[in-house]
Amino acid sequence: MSDAASPLLEVRQLEVVYHDVATAVQGVSIEVAAGSIVAMIGTNGAGKTTTLRAVSGFLPAEDVAVTDGEISFGGRPLRGLLPHQISRLGVVLVPERDKLFQTLTVRENLDFSLTHQRRSIRDAVYDYFPRLAERRKQVAGYLSGGEKQMLAIGMALVCEPKLLLVDELSLGLAPIVTSEIMSILQTINRNLGLAMLIVEQNAAAALRIASFGYVLENGRVVFKGEAEKLLSHQDMKEFYLGDSKAGSYRNIRQYTRKRRWWG
Amino acid sequence: MTSRSPYLLVSYAQTNRVLPEPYQRVVVAAIGVMLLCIPAVSGDYFLHLMNLCFIAVIGAVGINLLTGYCGQLSLGQASFMAIGAFTSAILAQRYGMPFFIAVPASCCAGAAVGFLVGLPALRFRGIYLAITTLAMHYAIIYVLTDYQAIVGPSASAGITVPPPSVGGFKLATERGWFYALLVITAFVVMFGINLARSYIGRAWVAIRDRDIAAETSGINVPRYKLLAFTISAALAALAGSLGAYFTTVVTVEEYTLELAIVYLAMIIVGGMGSVVGSVLGAVFITLLPFAVQRIFEMLPWQLGTTVFGIQEGAIGLAIIAFLLFEPDGLIEMYRRVATYFERWPFRYREIRPGGAR
Amino acid sequence: MELLVSILALGSTYALLAAGIVIIYKASRVINFAHGELAIVGAYVFHSASFLTGTTLMGPSLLAAIVIAAAASALFGVVVYFALMRRLLGRPTFVAAMVTIGLAIILKAAIVVIWKSRSVGIPIGRQPLYSFAGGGRISWIELISILTCIAAFVAFTVFFQYTRLGRQFRGAAENPLLAAQRQVNINLILALAWGLAVFSAALAGVLFGSRSMLSPQSTIIGLSGLTAALVGGLDSLRGAAVGGLLVAAATYLTARLISPTLSETVPFLILLVVMSWRPWGLFGTVEELNRV
Repeated sequence: MSDAASPLLEVRQLEVVYHDVATAVQGVSIEVAAGSIVAMIGTNGAGKTTTLRAVSGFLPAEDVAVTDGEISFGGRPLRGLLPHQISRLGVVLVPERDKLFQTLTVRENLDFSLTHQRRSIRDAVYDYFPRLAERRKQVAGYLSGGEKQMLAIGMALVCEPKLLLVDELSLGLAPIVTSEIMSILQTINRNLGLAMLIVEQNAAAALRIASFGYVLENGRVVFKGEAEKLLSHQDMKEFYLGDSKAGSYRNIRQYTRKRRWWG
Repeated sequence: MTSRSPYLLVSYAQTNRVLPEPYQRVVVAAIGVMLLCIPAVSGDYFLHLMNLCFIAVIGAVGINLLTGYCGQLSLGQASFMAIGAFTSAILAQRYGMPFFIAVPASCCAGAAVGFLVGLPALRFRGIYLAITTLAMHYAIIYVLTDYQAIVGPSASAGITVPPPSVGGFKLATERGWFYALLVITAFVVMFGINLARSYIGRAWVAIRDRDIAAETSGINVPRYKLLAFTISAALAALAGSLGAYFTTVVTVEEYTLELAIVYLAMIIVGGMGSVVGSVLGAVFITLLPFAVQRIFEMLPWQLGTTVFGIQEGAIGLAIIAFLLFEPDGLIEMYRRVATYFERWPFRYREIRPGGAR
Repeated sequence: MELLVSILALGSTYALLAAGIVIIYKASRVINFAHGELAIVGAYVFHSASFLTGTTLMGPSLLAAIVIAAAASALFGVVVYFALMRRLLGRPTFVAAMVTIGLAIILKAAIVVIWKSRSVGIPIGRQPLYSFAGGGRISWIELISILTCIAAFVAFTVFFQYTRLGRQFRGAAENPLLAAQRQVNINLILALAWGLAVFSAALAGVLFGSRSMLSPQSTIIGLSGLTAALVGGLDSLRGAAVGGLLVAAATYLTARLISPTLSETVPFLILLVVMSWRPWGLFGTVEELNRV
């Protein structure tokens, strides 16, 4: 947020409702500056994935609606566009589940969105993720969890994104693999200047590579700030970073009573 | 103490009634009176159409219980009707059984066959279930075709059925048939409505919506599926049997796959999962070809036999139109109007689970 | 030998029909019950088109008729998708299947209305081509049928395995949302599926109409095609070919050796056997059964 240029992605007062009855996200406003990594932190059900999905677009067949708010990318409104249109504008999502084509090989997955100009990016993907290069002919469904995540990110990169949305990449991954992939993302961000919005339950890992962070709870943004500020904040440490002052179980009651946010 | 309210049920007695509101009872009574008076004011042609509708309603209620309530997509409707028709024909013509023995016997035959068809169908869902029932349909029809070839005067002349007599009355006129069918159909409809409201109907709906969850809730899914097949086939056999007596000739050629699809069309148009919907859909689909014929008669140019093709096409068009624009059928159109008036001046926005925007 | 030729020729018709059904099912999980009707309509259209381009079907007029029929059938498939099936996205697949049944009824009625109920034949290549040593002959059209079927299957396989569009098709078939997020327009993929499927149906219909007489009742071959697809596995092209041959062999042999009326039930008997033993077909993906 250092320069005065307008943010690349701007989400304002977003409200998303599932099946006409369940409001997943309410009044959420998020900004991603060009070239920066922004993290969205929160527990299960906080609305992080829904926010990402709202930005990247819903298929008409899904029973979900964006009932309020604006989403604009580089000035262009995204609300109401179809996923493939949004993707072609440069906003590419790496989903949490179903993130690759299990029946296709690694090479076929990476070549999925290949065009002539994108060959260099695709080759660069093999450089970023050498493990994928070794397993080009393997059917994607049989890769390990870490390799699948790498492949999913690689596929997204081949789409020439201007903004990469990554949903919970650490799920099901060993911590060492998570940090490996996170640092690769950081490298990509530095090399390509690619802006990223990453959603994570592993707050510490995400805030280490991000420059800015938002904390979501129950579908609302409850806290935001520079990454260093979040990492050192007392309440963040208690609730999300695992540095508990509670000590023993006896203190848990105090814990819940003390739960408040000093923005 | 209990206040009158247009849409709140305020007593236990009221919740148990099929028609909890006074206006509903008045409407149904009026319809009943109207039906009773129809023969006095109509000619034979119209009564004939009504009789066809009655028979169709019985079959439609049957298929709706199986496919609409229990969610078991079955293409065997025509074969069950054929079983009923042939059983009645054989009992009446060869063994001289009277009407009121042959018809229940046909229902039992239908029930037995339905049970047998239901057994392999327990394993499958969706399209595979439909294919299984289709295979059984062809098997049954093959057997009946062979039988007809052996027994009938010629291979395709079929079996003639003497007109039924009920306690001395011969059912030979349209008017007589009208009253008889009115009574039988009324019973079938009430039976269907009450069945749907009972624990059996609730079990069926649970199976339709999520059979694994139904099983874990303690519902004996195979038993209820078999029950659905049995009852549905019995009703189809009843319709077939009555149809056999009505048309006095039974040929296996009229019980085609197209007939099964026509019955599916009835419940699609009328509303799957609603007995009243079956009635509406059966009447609609039965009268549709005649309406088409009338329309084309009014048009200036001559069409001759191609009108048959158009009549068939009209049914396909009805299926597609309803599936695209009104998938819950005619009954849903009625419900929208009824609830608008019930809740006026309040408005409400309906929650439709799983419906796409 | 003639027996083998007849089975292969009939099998090529069923295999082509099955291929179309498999393509649509792979793309959208919808079973197209109108496939037989689409095939026969295609054959009738070819028959009428051939009259437009010249009365004898040889050389340039034959080629023109083929091109017209091919383009028209593919276009019709695309139209069917955009007008009808597209509105059903998001609804349960059984609804879409019922719509295809409605379409089948309308198409069959259209045949009766437009071409009346008379039987017609497509007079290509009925002449015998070659006589085998052990007795029996193969005619031009039987050879063409078999070769066309092989060519079509090779073309489909190459397309789906080795081209970018084919890859995107397979991906979209497995996970439409992900494909959309990777810049693939799902509507185009589905329209492509329908176009290819109706084209192959029309192809099968034309070849069928050249060997047998066409009538509105011929639409019954759709059921055999569906059986072939189910036997082979609803999502396997390889299965479509094998299933087509199996169903053709069983039907033909039953008709010849046992009884012609039984041969109508044979496809379903095969189906019952296969379903009890391997419900997802010979080559289908195992998980398909749970998806219905």
